[in-house]
Amino acid sequence: MARIMIIEDDPDIREELTLLLENEGYTPLSIEEFTDVPGQAAREHPDLILLDIGLPGKDGFSLCAALRKAISVPVIFVTSRDAGVDEVRALSLGGDDYITKPYSVPVLLARIKAVLRRTGGGSEAADVLEACGLCLTLTKGVVSANGKTAELTRNELQILACLMAHAGKIVSRGDLIDTLWDNQIYIDDNTLSVNMTRLRAKLAELGLPDAVKTRRGMGYQL
Amino acid sequence: MTLREFLSDRMGRIALQLICAGLAALFLFAVGTQPGILVILFLVLFLVFAAAQIYDFCCQCSRLRELEAIWDGLDQKYLFAECVPPPKGVYERRLFDLTRRAGRAMTGAVSDAEASQREYREYVERWVHEIKAPITAARLICRGLDGDTRRKLTAELAQIEANIERALFYARAENPEQDCLFRQVNLGEIAFQAIENHRSLLIQSGVRVETENLNDTVYTDEKWAVFILGQLLQNAARYRGDEPVVTLSAKPLGKQVRFIIQDNGIGIPAHELPRVFDRGFTGSNGRSRGGSTGMGLYLCKKLASFMDLGLHIVSREGEGTAVTLTFPARENLTKP
Repeated sequence: MARIMIIEDDPDIREELTLLLENEGYTPLSIEEFTDVPGQAAREHPDLILLDIGLPGKDGFSLCAALRKAISVPVIFVTSRDAGVDEVRALSLGGDDYITKPYSVPVLLARIKAVLRRTGGGSEAADVLEACGLCLTLTKGVVSANGKTAELTRNELQILACLMAHAGKIVSRGDLIDTLWDNQIYIDDNTLSVNMTRLRAKLAELGLPDAVKTRRGMGYQL
Repeated sequence: MTLREFLSDRMGRIALQLICAGLAALFLFAVGTQPGILVILFLVLFLVFAAAQIYDFCCQCSRLRELEAIWDGLDQKYLFAECVPPPKGVYERRLFDLTRRAGRAMTGAVSDAEASQREYREYVERWVHEIKAPITAARLICRGLDGDTRRKLTAELAQIEANIERALFYARAENPEQDCLFRQVNLGEIAFQAIENHRSLLIQSGVRVETENLNDTVYTDEKWAVFILGQLLQNAARYRGDEPVVTLSAKPLGKQVRFIIQDNGIGIPAHELPRVFDRGFTGSNGRSRGGSTGMGLYLCKKLASFMDLGLHIVSREGEGTAVTLTFPARENLTKP
């Protein structure tokens, strides 16, 4: 799994970021001593570096230049400075991306994934999901079961993918809506109900009429 | 200065001269001077006196013209007294000196005020950057909580962020040129960021957001455009009706691009529409729903006019509001 080095002086953020990246399946490496950061990075050989700008001693800009000399690794600036000039400076110093605090977690993860994909350091996400006798091909938007297949719309695809990723567990409507918004599908509660009804109809055609169960007051379960 | 103004200015002196001339005439007449000589004498006296007055008038006029030309050419008007050649007369020079000293005191006061304003702005910016660290940490900590609590806390944090952002942009709007950075941006990216910034509010309000044809590239400052769109999205969520839908769509118009934000909310009463961009204007909607500061649209207008971004609102009470942002063609921008 991709190794991500966190260079951040705020201990709370560092700790939480470490936890978050661990949960997402990355290997976080956090730096607590800000002396000879390039040397530490060279020893650890991360696949990606998350770099703050306001650091004790050397600031992120000069650090980025030093890192670039030491090793070849993509750098994402993560900072609370949001002046346009800072961003331009960061990118001209060889930063691969620039995210301003406070970032939303999905955005941060998406940017990390994008940079890793661009630099070839990350593994491709699985294209085919299988659960409860269903087989979902994400890139084609097709679900199959019992030898039959059905085409899904973008919304239905994301709903089903979310349910399949948490197969057996209850997924609340709120979580489903959050996941859909993460994927730039900005729907409301009613639209979710409509999409759910359509999805169930399609699953019924595949011979699985009760695949998605409604758990009153809690959410849905595959 | 007209001749009439000049004469009325000199009225006292002219009257005095006339009285003196009259008394002199009486005296000369009394001592037996011939009337013919008297007439010639007074004619000559009058001509000399009139010539002197006309000369004075011309001098004053040309001096005033000179001063006005200097005034017109000045960038900082309060530096006027510093740039004017000193007058010749003692009395006038004294007056001038006083004016100049007053001007200097004013310059000092102005530069003090500017300095303290700049310091305040810098402090606000630094404070905003400092406050972002704990918010970021809080957001990450929220991630570990379960569904509903997380959503509620995230929404509160987003509200804090939105308010902080408004303060930051308010400070920036004072000197927009220091922060503006124009480049090519995809409209979809602007929409994505603005929606992401306010997603908690939008989801909580049950707003559905539809995006159509946001593939155009515009030439603008990304952060500011995101901020402006964010204010409009917040308004759409705050003044929503039943089953709220916000539609974001774009339409190229020659080299310009029109970006339309249409909602089906409660709308703005027609008589309030002309004032929505006024600073501190909250309107009947703002009062009835609360939470309005009257700053959002004011800031939007201010930033938009600096960015050459057209900002127009059309609204019908009870039906909804449509805001059109017209992004200028690159070559029409007046700023670099």
